[in-house]
Amino acid sequence: MPDSLLLQARAGDRDAFAALVRAHQGSVFSIGLRMLSRRDAAEDLAQDVFLQLYRKLDSIESLEHLGFWLRRVAANLAIDWLRRLPYSATQPLDEGAEVAAPEPEHDPLMSRELMRLLGELAPHPRAVMLLRYQEDRDVAEIAAMLDMPVNTVKSHIKRSLTALRGRMIGAKLIDCEELP
Amino acid sequence: MNENPPENFEDELRRRLRPIDAPAGFNERLMAALPVERKPAAVSSGPRAARPSLRDFGMPAALAASLLVAVFLGVYVANDRAAVREEQMGIAASQQLMQALRVTSQKLDLAYEAVNNPPTAGEEENRS
Repeated sequence: MPDSLLLQARAGDRDAFAALVRAHQGSVFSIGLRMLSRRDAAEDLAQDVFLQLYRKLDSIESLEHLGFWLRRVAANLAIDWLRRLPYSATQPLDEGAEVAAPEPEHDPLMSRELMRLLGELAPHPRAVMLLRYQEDRDVAEIAAMLDMPVNTVKSHIKRSLTALRGRMIGAKLIDCEELP
Repeated sequence: MNENPPENFEDELRRRLRPIDAPAGFNERLMAALPVERKPAAVSSGPRAARPSLRDFGMPAALAASLLVAVFLGVYVANDRAAVREEQMGIAASQQLMQALRVTSQKLDLAYEAVNNPPTAGEEENRS
């Protein structure tokens, strides 16, 4: 995606802004959905994030900065909503909510259980896991996005991986043979 | 419980947590919700306090200035009165001193005269 798209959007070109939205809506919406476990709330959150972006376009320096900014705002807004709104960490997903990526060898039971277990994590570790495994961001970037020390991010990842794996083994969704 | 989950579990997470698209029509709804003109971002942490204007400071500043003038004027008048009073007391003291000097001088004159012109015997008898 060329940087000129950002410049055009800054200059008031709505088509350019729409192109930026199309490029990032999946990530922002997925962070909202997997943090809040509700499709309607995720859509509200994504809309809020992009409206903030529209007003703050002048402060975005590059497309790389744009990606960082969107994920940071989405994750922190979701954490904030989880604190203030009645979304419980263990609230079941919407009926029929598809929160895992569709794929040919899709295992709906495992995906649903994975999302449920992810939803049991506290907001900050959940955001860390999403930024790490959904967005493939490195530890330093996640630390900067969530304004927390790098060692805290590493600790969240390690504990969350251990907890998720342990619960999935307990639920017999993965084999114990995978253990080294 | 395993302390170091193997990488394939992480790969499994990455595979299952790939981003998914927003619902159909999201982009259209978002573009319809955009303001017509782009404005600077509003601070979302609550309503910003109104910036105080000079007018807000006008009345308190005038009151404070008046109070200061009154205080300085009072101090000046009090000092002036004290100075006048001290001056009057000084003049009175000076007058008293001059009077005392005059009395002393007269007494000294009388004593001098008595020493230089002692009374004769007849005068002494007349006195007695």
